[in-house]
Amino acid sequence: MFSITRRSLMLAALLASTAGVAGPAFADAGEVTISHYFTGELGLQAFNEQVQKFEQASGIKMRESPVGHEDFKTDILVRAAGHSLPDVFSYWAGARVDFIVKSKSLRPIDDMWASAKLDSVVAKPIADSATLYDGKRFLVPFNYHYAGVFYNKKVLADAGMTAPPATWDAFISLCKTLKEKGIAPVALGSKNRWPAQFWFDYLLLRTAGPDYRAKLMAGEASYDDPQVVAAMSLWKELLDQGFFVENANADDWTDAADKVARGDAAMTLMGTWITGYWNGVGLVAGQDYDFFPFPKIKDGIPNAAVGPVDGLVISANAANPEGAEKFLAFMMSDPDVQAKWAEAQGALSANVNVDPKAYNSVMQSAAKTVAEADTFAFNYDLATTPPVAEVGLSMFTRFIDDPSKLDGILKAVAVDAKAAFKQ
Amino acid sequence: MERHNTVWRVALLTPPLTVFAVFVIWPLFSSFFYSVTNWNGFGSEYDFVGLDNFAKIFTDKLFMNAAINTTIWMVAAIVVPTLCGLGLALLLDGKVPGGRAFKTVFYLPICLSAVIVGQIWTWIYQPDWGLLNTMISIVTGEKMRYAWLAKPDTALGSVILAWSWQQTGLSMVIYLAGLTAIPEDLLEVCEIEGAKLWQRILFVVLPLLTPSTVVVIALSVINSLKGFDILYIMTGGGPFNSSDTLAMHMYNESFRKYLMGYGSAISVVLFLIALTIIGIYFRQLKKVDRIYG
Repeated sequence: MFSITRRSLMLAALLASTAGVAGPAFADAGEVTISHYFTGELGLQAFNEQVQKFEQASGIKMRESPVGHEDFKTDILVRAAGHSLPDVFSYWAGARVDFIVKSKSLRPIDDMWASAKLDSVVAKPIADSATLYDGKRFLVPFNYHYAGVFYNKKVLADAGMTAPPATWDAFISLCKTLKEKGIAPVALGSKNRWPAQFWFDYLLLRTAGPDYRAKLMAGEASYDDPQVVAAMSLWKELLDQGFFVENANADDWTDAADKVARGDAAMTLMGTWITGYWNGVGLVAGQDYDFFPFPKIKDGIPNAAVGPVDGLVISANAANPEGAEKFLAFMMSDPDVQAKWAEAQGALSANVNVDPKAYNSVMQSAAKTVAEADTFAFNYDLATTPPVAEVGLSMFTRFIDDPSKLDGILKAVAVDAKAAFKQ
Repeated sequence: MERHNTVWRVALLTPPLTVFAVFVIWPLFSSFFYSVTNWNGFGSEYDFVGLDNFAKIFTDKLFMNAAINTTIWMVAAIVVPTLCGLGLALLLDGKVPGGRAFKTVFYLPICLSAVIVGQIWTWIYQPDWGLLNTMISIVTGEKMRYAWLAKPDTALGSVILAWSWQQTGLSMVIYLAGLTAIPEDLLEVCEIEGAKLWQRILFVVLPLLTPSTVVVIALSVINSLKGFDILYIMTGGGPFNSSDTLAMHMYNESFRKYLMGYGSAISVVLFLIALTIIGIYFRQLKKVDRIYG
């Protein structure tokens, strides 16, 4: 005859807690797990509002785990290593998605794409460049961004700018005027390295063209080629003339945005998410700030627009793939969800049914600029493989720290990138 | 009765041992396993590459850079907090006006997490409005805008200073405890015999503080080996790898480059270094126990 004592209860509790450690956690049938990097200034509240609409429409419960933008890169890898990827997660289209597709960690969504008729919903250039990997679709382009030269309207008006500089000479002239007035022409916050990449992207795209750049990103060209030297030399001229803020490597991108907002600096080359940040601190689009496309440098070069595409993907071992597909289809197809999300995020929607009037004046111009571009290119760290991107991103900050070492830096990077492509 | 006790021992030990096995032993052996593969961290496919990852270590410039930085980090992380902690303990031992308040203030940083300490010192080093540059500007009369954490020559040293600021309080408390064990009459005898202050410290106090020194150094070594978070917060190993340590390099290779196999090989090397240092420490501890125990 067993008698329940306090000791036996404690023992049972201890054993139960031990069992809890070892037991796997399964999502309910009507539940979809999701992890994403839409936190803080990147619009967690707006994302949750759109998720709630899906929950109400579908009856499916979404279990979320948002992670900060930079930490997400590590977090998702840790979860992959532990074979515990969420059903759905956000990821950057391009080389990074290609990398996990090759690792067989994603579920193709061709059937869902066809049944939800996403061909008639997603803008074709974005669909072609961001969703197809090895001939199959793996990602819905939840939103995309465009990198342009964002500026403080009052500062540039005071400097006498009547029209945005369309050519390189006009841009240099503007920088000289600003410098003479004691204002730093260009703010850059390259502490986390990636904000510097847009300068490399545009200088290379505007001088060597998209085809050469694609070869460099794929390892079919070298970082000490004359094309790269020429692009980097233009950047060096800007740095040598003191057109960039001092100590760019000590600042974050928000520090650079603040400098432009305060009028300490005039311009910053950044993605459209800066509009979400500025709107959040009370600046008014078109009144306090605006943007112009990166100036043309050489004739005969196709006009490229640069930016990242934020996507949603489904993991290969999703516990609830049907629910996950419903979620992706809803978030992509619903024009209201897309419009509200794009507004909060300071992003552009790839959904062709979103009314352009949903954007503010600056975002409308950005959407028009992308639509008129000859090609859309992913920014550097999404265009080349992660090991090579690490080499390149460090190169940018090393170069910014001491531009006089450009030749040596490029020679070293050429060797390191070649080795990194083999990894 | 004995059987009853055994059941209890097993019952009480099972939960912590299970947690230890899941979160320490299993990942440790996983690292050993993956260090001989080319696993990228995603997916479940990989090939065995033998000792290729370990061979690569010898040709990896960034590994050598990280190894040198780790050596600098460890030496500085032992020497600076130990000497500062000893100095403060000697100053604050006995009846010093406001001694308790000073002890509290100096000990306070150890109660903060490395993330908070890193953030505080990032503000101190901020080039435009940071406390350090502001103070230098006031003293020299010239505007100072040096980016301490963004320049390769000063990034690592700046983090070491922040780390030492936090760790000094711990050393101070251990030395203060050690000082209370030194008999006052012994020091009085030395004074009567004509020993000067520095002689009393050098030939009496310091030798008698040897057990405390062993503990301080051991904790400094162990803490410095774990010193990843403050570096991650303050510099992330940058600018361009100038403040990379082996732990930071392992992180970069594994999580930024997706070379989990190679990152695991670095972690195995780091584990062996830690094991060697801890082995030396235990040997020294036994010696001290024999002499002072």
